[in-house]
Amino acid sequence: MAPEDSGADRRPAERQAAGRTDARQKATGATLYVADVELPNMAYAAVARSSMAHGLIRSIDTSAAAAEPGVVGIFTAEDVTESPYGRGVRDISVLARQKVRYVGERVVAVVAETRAAAERAASLVVIDYEELPAAVTPEEALLEGAPLVHDAPWTFPRAYVKQEDGTNLQSVVKVGERAPVEAALAGSAHVVDATYRTRSVHQGYIEPQACIANYDSEGRLHIWLTSKSPYRLRNQIADCLGIDESQIEIEPIALGGDFGGKGSPMDAPLCAELARLTGRPVKLVLRYSEDLVATECRHPTVFRVRVGCDAEGRLTALYHEVLIDGGAYAGYKPSELASIHGVVEAGGYRIPAFYAEARTTYTHTVPKGHMRAPGAPQANFAAESALDELAAVAGIDPVELRRRNLLRTGEKDANGHSWVEFRGEETLEAALEAVRQPVAPPGWLVGRGLSIYNRGTATGTQTSLCLVPVDGGRLRVEVPVVETGTGSHTVYRELLSKELDFPPEDIEVVQVSTDDLSPDPGAGGSRVTASISLAVDVAVKAWRSRLGDEPVYVVVDERAGPPVGSYGVQVAEVAVDPETGQLKVLEILSTIDVAEIVNPKAHQMQIDGGAAMGFGYACLEDLDEQGGQVWAANLGEFKLPSARDVPAFRTVLVPGGRGVGTANVKNIGETTTPPVAAAIANAVAAATGCRIRELPITAERIYAAMRAAGS
Amino acid sequence: MADLRFVAPTTIADALGELGEEGAIAVGGGTSIGLLVKNRLVDASKLVYLGRVRELAGVHLDGEARVGATTTLRELSRSAVVADALPVLADAAGRIGNPRVRSLATAGGALVHGDPRQDLPPVLLALSAIAHLASASGTRSVPLSEFFLGFMETACAPDELVTSVSVPLDPSRRAHYIRYTPGSEDDYPTVGVAATVSVAPDGAVTAATLALGGVAEHALAVPEASQLVGGRPDAGAIRALGEVAAAAARPTDDQRGSSGYKRAMVEVMTRRAFEACLG
Amino acid sequence: MELRFKLNGEAVEADVEADTFLVDLIRLRGLTGTKEGCGVGVCGACTVVVDELPVSSCCYLALMADGAEVWTVEGLTRRDPALVDAFVEHEGMQCGICTPGQVVSAYTLAREHPGASEEEIRTYMSGNLCRCTGYVSITEAVQAYVSRG
Repeated sequence: MAPEDSGADRRPAERQAAGRTDARQKATGATLYVADVELPNMAYAAVARSSMAHGLIRSIDTSAAAAEPGVVGIFTAEDVTESPYGRGVRDISVLARQKVRYVGERVVAVVAETRAAAERAASLVVIDYEELPAAVTPEEALLEGAPLVHDAPWTFPRAYVKQEDGTNLQSVVKVGERAPVEAALAGSAHVVDATYRTRSVHQGYIEPQACIANYDSEGRLHIWLTSKSPYRLRNQIADCLGIDESQIEIEPIALGGDFGGKGSPMDAPLCAELARLTGRPVKLVLRYSEDLVATECRHPTVFRVRVGCDAEGRLTALYHEVLIDGGAYAGYKPSELASIHGVVEAGGYRIPAFYAEARTTYTHTVPKGHMRAPGAPQANFAAESALDELAAVAGIDPVELRRRNLLRTGEKDANGHSWVEFRGEETLEAALEAVRQPVAPPGWLVGRGLSIYNRGTATGTQTSLCLVPVDGGRLRVEVPVVETGTGSHTVYRELLSKELDFPPEDIEVVQVSTDDLSPDPGAGGSRVTASISLAVDVAVKAWRSRLGDEPVYVVVDERAGPPVGSYGVQVAEVAVDPETGQLKVLEILSTIDVAEIVNPKAHQMQIDGGAAMGFGYACLEDLDEQGGQVWAANLGEFKLPSARDVPAFRTVLVPGGRGVGTANVKNIGETTTPPVAAAIANAVAAATGCRIRELPITAERIYAAMRAAGS
Repeated sequence: MADLRFVAPTTIADALGELGEEGAIAVGGGTSIGLLVKNRLVDASKLVYLGRVRELAGVHLDGEARVGATTTLRELSRSAVVADALPVLADAAGRIGNPRVRSLATAGGALVHGDPRQDLPPVLLALSAIAHLASASGTRSVPLSEFFLGFMETACAPDELVTSVSVPLDPSRRAHYIRYTPGSEDDYPTVGVAATVSVAPDGAVTAATLALGGVAEHALAVPEASQLVGGRPDAGAIRALGEVAAAAARPTDDQRGSSGYKRAMVEVMTRRAFEACLG
Repeated sequence: MELRFKLNGEAVEADVEADTFLVDLIRLRGLTGTKEGCGVGVCGACTVVVDELPVSSCCYLALMADGAEVWTVEGLTRRDPALVDAFVEHEGMQCGICTPGQVVSAYTLAREHPGASEEEIRTYMSGNLCRCTGYVSITEAVQAYVSRG
């Protein structure tokens, strides 16, 4: 917990951070990623995948594939473990057994002397299916008599559903009470009841998923995986393969972007089985199209919001009813709640009555998993759009509506929780002071829109750390955390440099294998900086009180304290060509409630990168799932924002907040992605008078809305 | 493909000899063929790389602008000859794809590949370009209005080569190309509109052409552009031409837009392209 | 088939297939700085320089490089330390997977458009996708490099 003080004279860290620990290696191409690692006697794998959304596997003909030169082995479900795996629910098959449940599902694995030979052979595998009717949307999946994705999902280990809940469900979550909400809405002066729709998008990391598995001469399994959570991975693999965790070592490696999509075991269980079956190290590097079509992506939602206010614009009740497409497997998510954060929270507003009901269904489509701020961009798009619609109906300025309802420190949120502080009002005022009208193309309609997001950070942690003195008065810091790009390793260096008075250049931060340190749950949930701060606090105390010059190894287990949050207020400035509906987002202003900042540069990049991802989600990205298939199957079709697509980003930091640990830090990694879509939709409404309730916000949608409105 | 061959002839005659074999396909910069080979989407036994055939390179002026088939987009965008005689071509070439594509992609490849989403075909079509082909039995010339036959289907036979494309010179011609990209700018256009007008000293239009990209199985010429000929066209005439162009387009639904939206945008962009030429 | 070319200034001979792509040939020789991202020439992570021009090595048929001079991120950054300094000083990266491609494109940009404006830089570099940074620090790094002259 941060020390008590008035907050009046806290300023963001002014000391110039010493730059990233890994900048030079990355700029020269020296950093090694999984695909760059070669082992002696390594063999290469490729996967033959289902072309069917739902079908029975009648036969598999591998004769042509086996005749390809260089093939080492061809394997199906019969050859590998039948034990399913997953991050939470364990329902994912290593290879499809008897049935396929989505286009792209792994059916046959080929191992060969070269990747080219493996891919050639995989393309020659012939799979004969009996096609079955498929449920490719949540609505279809919930119809009476719908085809079942899994016969009895309640029997999977750690299932979130019970048989009584019904079929084709991954989870049903209800938060709050419905009756008070209905009563409050019925008695409200103004109510908006609107439904918003979002599509699936991919995390878009530039490094495709890759894995290497190898059993050493003592029978221990070594894994290199594009994973951001090595200790969880070790546990998940142990569970799936029936091996003891002590027999598995997850090797440290740099990660080429994660954004939530690299937290599952991915292809590691398969690679481990292939290594066992062939007696050789096996490497599987996905082609990007496989990543887009067949791994995991953000949940599409149909999001109904009912929100009411009294005659003075004070919110009376908020109701979320969400239908979520979970895809063919639930195991890519760590828990039912983590995936719908934002859905089950009422934001940073004072809301007397709140009820949320979220159903996540199985469908015969690519599995849905985690992506930066899971559930929050969908929820924020719906809720913040609805607030603007409510403001319009009530005849109140949308900014004023927010002002009247933002929580103040000392109040409780809609779920009854007290947070350390609520700084929404001052963050909003700082945003409003900074807005300006950028230059728009002549003749275009201009508009400004606002969205607010309050996100919590983890205040407890389990992690570990080892400080090793090195000859010449230097320090090696051994950490369990993967450097996913956010600069986490640099945070260790900055904090330890400051606390222990080592010059930054004398500190080396190294991720070690899972053999060498106690578990850390991995990157994600905006927990890393705060977690590192808590770990460093403990390690520094131990270092200062040690007797000799021995290394200091600490295991940290801090219980969570009262929730610490950070408000992000985003303002979008847009221009719309009235003749075509073409949308230019001129600027996104992110105003963030902060405490201390360890590395200002890295912090700023999370703000910009997060906003860019939010922009892509709002305006460009769509995996184009139709008929149970992903049609945007390469980066030429799934459009990530380029350097000239992104709007101008401006940032205002509002210091003085109370964060976590002695370093007094707040979360930033997932704060600026969720509010972008609503800010843009609200700006488009201001510019054109048209409300777009579906993502992405395309020129065509705006054009159609304007024509329909007769403008 | 273990039995795929790669040859790099140095003369047109040798290239034609190689292309005479069944299963041989010509490769310009490899920006289209490379991807087809990588994804096993093409059934070829031999790749005939044209990058070493000097006779196919270069842009020349001799009463017309003659663009060698292996001229790259980068070369087109930087050529002083093209900038002077065909500024719309230099401009369009410089906006296609990204610098890596432009380093390699060729004018001949753009024509022969016949991808209806690409930019160069409608621009060359509006410029009344003529494709020059060679085969073992001789040479022939095909106006681009007769060159594009269907979806990725052109008049160039498997044993033929486009050796160059020529564009008539016209100092009185003004041209404008719009590539409308409402989503990511780094993408194929939702619609591409290439317009030219030739204007006499008294302001009368003596010729006008219009070609559309991305709205049919191939680049589409709209001959009704000639309706603008004679006198100074007014806003009404241009608007009418936009409606004709929209009706002539036969777009399909895809991620870049529904057919209805594309049709509507053909109308708007046709008008804007001619306004830019005449304005 | 035999291929002879210069790789980072050294003469190299390799035996490749007609459908071998330059990225695989480079990486098999231990030069793993060049990455394969999207595999369709869109993201730019695989950018290398062939005869002074930037190309997508992931879909560049290796045999087209016969007799050519090829430079990868390793060779270019050795040749021009100012290139590395600009990206380090401005922290023009996060996860680093797109960085080699950004660096190589910055190299060719500086030679193609000396004194380029921010808009010209963003247009040229729009073919190098980054999912982490939002492009601000990358653009600053490239600007610093371009204006270094």
